[in-house]
Amino acid sequence: MTLAAAAPQGFLSPTGVEVAFVLVGLVTFAAAIVTVTTKQLVHAALWLVVALGGLAAEYLLLTAEFVAWVQVLIYVGSVVVLLLFGLMLTKAPIGRSPDADSGNRWAALTVAVAAAATLVWVVVDAFRTQWIDLDAPQGTTSVTGAMLFQHWVLPFEALSVLLLAALVGAIVLSRKSEEPSDERVRDAKAHARDDAEAAADKEQR
Amino acid sequence: MNDALDVALRLLVVFAVFLVLPLVIGQTEHKVMAHMQGRLGPMYAGGFHGWAQLVADGVKFAQKEDVVPAGADRRIFQLAPAVALLPYLLVLVAIPIGPGEGAVGEVVDAGLFFVLAVMGVGVLGSLMAGWASANKFSLLGGLRTAAQLLAYELPMLLTAASVAMAAGTVSLPGIVEAFEWWWLPWQIVGALVFFVAGLAELQRPPFDMPVADSEIIFGAYTEYTGLRFALFLLAEYAGIVVLCGLTTVLFLGGWHGPWGADGLGWVWTLLKTAILAFLVIWLRVSYPRLREDQLQKLAWTTLVPLALAQIALTGIVKVAIQ
Amino acid sequence: MPPIPGSGLAKGLAVTLRTMTRKTVTAQYPDVQPELPPRTRGVIGLFEENCTVCMLCARECPDWCIYIDSHKETVPAAAPGGRERSRNVLDRFAIDFALCMYCGICIEVCPFDALFWSPEFEYAETDIHELTHERDRLREWMWTVPAPPALDASAEEPKEIAAARKAAEKLATQQQTEAEAPKAEAPKAEAPKAEAPKAEAPKAEAPEAEAPKAEARKAEAPKTEPGEGKQ
Repeated sequence: MTLAAAAPQGFLSPTGVEVAFVLVGLVTFAAAIVTVTTKQLVHAALWLVVALGGLAAEYLLLTAEFVAWVQVLIYVGSVVVLLLFGLMLTKAPIGRSPDADSGNRWAALTVAVAAAATLVWVVVDAFRTQWIDLDAPQGTTSVTGAMLFQHWVLPFEALSVLLLAALVGAIVLSRKSEEPSDERVRDAKAHARDDAEAAADKEQR
Repeated sequence: MNDALDVALRLLVVFAVFLVLPLVIGQTEHKVMAHMQGRLGPMYAGGFHGWAQLVADGVKFAQKEDVVPAGADRRIFQLAPAVALLPYLLVLVAIPIGPGEGAVGEVVDAGLFFVLAVMGVGVLGSLMAGWASANKFSLLGGLRTAAQLLAYELPMLLTAASVAMAAGTVSLPGIVEAFEWWWLPWQIVGALVFFVAGLAELQRPPFDMPVADSEIIFGAYTEYTGLRFALFLLAEYAGIVVLCGLTTVLFLGGWHGPWGADGLGWVWTLLKTAILAFLVIWLRVSYPRLREDQLQKLAWTTLVPLALAQIALTGIVKVAIQ
Repeated sequence: MPPIPGSGLAKGLAVTLRTMTRKTVTAQYPDVQPELPPRTRGVIGLFEENCTVCMLCARECPDWCIYIDSHKETVPAAAPGGRERSRNVLDRFAIDFALCMYCGICIEVCPFDALFWSPEFEYAETDIHELTHERDRLREWMWTVPAPPALDASAEEPKEIAAARKAAEKLATQQQTEAEAPKAEAPKAEAPKAEAPKAEAPKAEAPEAEAPKAEARKAEAPKTEPGEGKQ
């Protein structure tokens, strides 16, 4: 990436893009919180759409157009559809589900905070105070493709193999003669499809 | 200021196209379907061969009461038609109808991905409608919609990827720029798979299991009335416009024509789109509905392998050429 | 040879495309009147001059939808010293088309040809009571009754014409014999001669019946039928 670190940039006079970034970020964050706290299951799935869409918007603001559209394609277009499909098969009522709370609230919160802290730490450690100039697009398809297949080929292929393994595993699970339980088979199938799509999508690059 | 005016003008034109073309296709469907069944179709509205039938339908829909079922999830129920319709408007912005900057609403770098991603979002509207209606038929329709989307999204993406590989770009104008006539036989399998999968994603007959009226009334749209129902119908016809336009751009060479006159490229695009739209109607009249298991079987055992074969062929030819 | 895969699909497409290029079968009814077959059962017309109030139609009607009222009148003796005759006079004749099932039994059963089928069918009403057509309305329908279809070329001669022809031939032979006789009786022979064309009249009408047009019907009906009624 081309980093223009020469001129130190101030944080006090934000540009329009930066303001938008922060606002979209807040919306995404709020939507994510509602997703995990709402007692209406399908609403949670739909708030997840908002959160994922917000993320795509953030990518767009960072000029990573390709990643943004893939985000929409895979997560909003497929994963959420899959989620809703699964929810429709359950007895999720319209309105509040009284038993939507799992009781692992604190454990989940701990894991979430830890994960967030790790990610933030990784990003902060990697970039420090570097200033990336967004006027020259940084995330166009060709740039992303070149990066992916020149610098990150090995992880990419490893991920592909992982997904393939998941796919094969799902098929094996669903073919078993003594059925585990309906739900697990369905989940496995769902993941298989999901993974197949993700893999297919990766292949396109 | 000039830029703002330019953008506003482009959006206005796209919006006008978005409102007019689906109605034209709807009217064509009325008449073509009627004549294919030995009927005349609408004859009164507007005077000349019922040309204003869909306008009259719109007025009727607008006058109807907007009913929300008592048990429904009100807000989601009311939001669903917008979620179903808006993506197609967005997609239309990115489809180029002629060469150059002037003939596309907005040049999107990863246009192919943008189009496919946003089209996938439209299905969320049907799912929301199906779930929020508090009606078992709607729920079944929603389930079928989701299953169909999952099955047919994959071949559609794969064939689109094949074209992107052939052109070496994912920008829609870029793909048409790179088009050569011999792509037609080269990508013909991909084109067929793409078109069929697109039909299935739009839930058009013969892939209209999610709205099979003889089984589940009107699927996810059963509880809708008035303007919201009209919006769902409009979304279907806008979907036809988008699918036909996209197939034209990706596989039929968009504005390229056998005797290409400069400046008339958009005529070729519209002509090809119109022919494809006629094909959509023709298929609807000719074929009976596929059963749910046949639907899934067609996608997973026929279209996906065909799409993969097309990708392999594209890759081989591409390497051989270079 | 096994069929080519997909040939069925192509055939389906061909069928619809071919149908599209053909003429449609849609009847544009209010704009274009339908071509009705000659014996269409639209509405029942009453030729009340023929009615003798025998009540057969009302009695045979399975729906009991025919209402008839009448009274008796005495007719003074035709010749002096003769006996007075009594005859039935029709007061009311009504058919309730809300009840009628268009079986046509009344028309079949009428011994005096007072009831006829008319092809008119546009008499829907917004009030069911108005579907009871009274005598004058039923009489009006008579104007729409088409002329009877032409006889078959090799058919037996109709009774009326045969009778008239026989009479005419008789007259002709009589005239011939009289012509051979002294010519002083010539004026007497003129009168029967004048009647002869009248008798031929039904024959002349036959070709007209072959092309039963509504206009022709209307013009014809009043001319012929009242004449029959007096007989």
